[in-house]
Amino acid sequence: MEDAVETLTRGNVAEVKVVLASVALALAVYQLVMIAVGYGKLRVPFLATPPAFQAHRAVGDMIALLLLCTGVMCVSYYGFEDDKLVHAVAGSALLGVLALKISVVRRDFGLGRFLPVLGITVFTLLAVTWATSAGAFLA
Amino acid sequence: MSRQLLGSLIAAVLIVIIAIAVVTASFGPTSAAEQEVREERLEERLDAEEERREAAEERREERRER
Repeated sequence: MEDAVETLTRGNVAEVKVVLASVALALAVYQLVMIAVGYGKLRVPFLATPPAFQAHRAVGDMIALLLLCTGVMCVSYYGFEDDKLVHAVAGSALLGVLALKISVVRRDFGLGRFLPVLGITVFTLLAVTWATSAGAFLA
Repeated sequence: MSRQLLGSLIAAVLIVIIAIAVVTASFGPTSAAEQEVREERLEERLDAEEERREAAEERREERRER
């Protein structure tokens, strides 16, 4: 797996990981705007509630795929390092909460009212995960 | 409505493009691929220099033999 990651990224594992995580974070900020329009917290004349929700769902699927790829790359290449404990914990929690949120979106399980909290948690964990790795790399 | 959805998705694609451009620009010429290309070029230059030196030496030796 380690060799596959290195071959796929042509030796630029850290750089590819930073790009993927940064794209995910930028899209996550956009997601906050989309869902604010969806819930009517933010009103813009050129975007109604239903297309905002649909765009939020479509972009969310894209972010989930990006985060899964980044997570698999990170764990298979770097593993869990002691000096990156906050990153490892935040990243693992991010994938866990994201999986829970997707399950609630698809199946509800009577937890639909917690979606905003789950969404904000996903965003916060993504920001922490990015800041403790990609942010430090770019600084 | 579909036009609004399409517009939202196009905006998302633009965000992806801008994010990739900004992040890759901040890497500068330190990426492994670029370093590899530089090393290859340097190696090629050194090889060419060595070949030139060897050819010059051979020519000098030929002249001496004559």
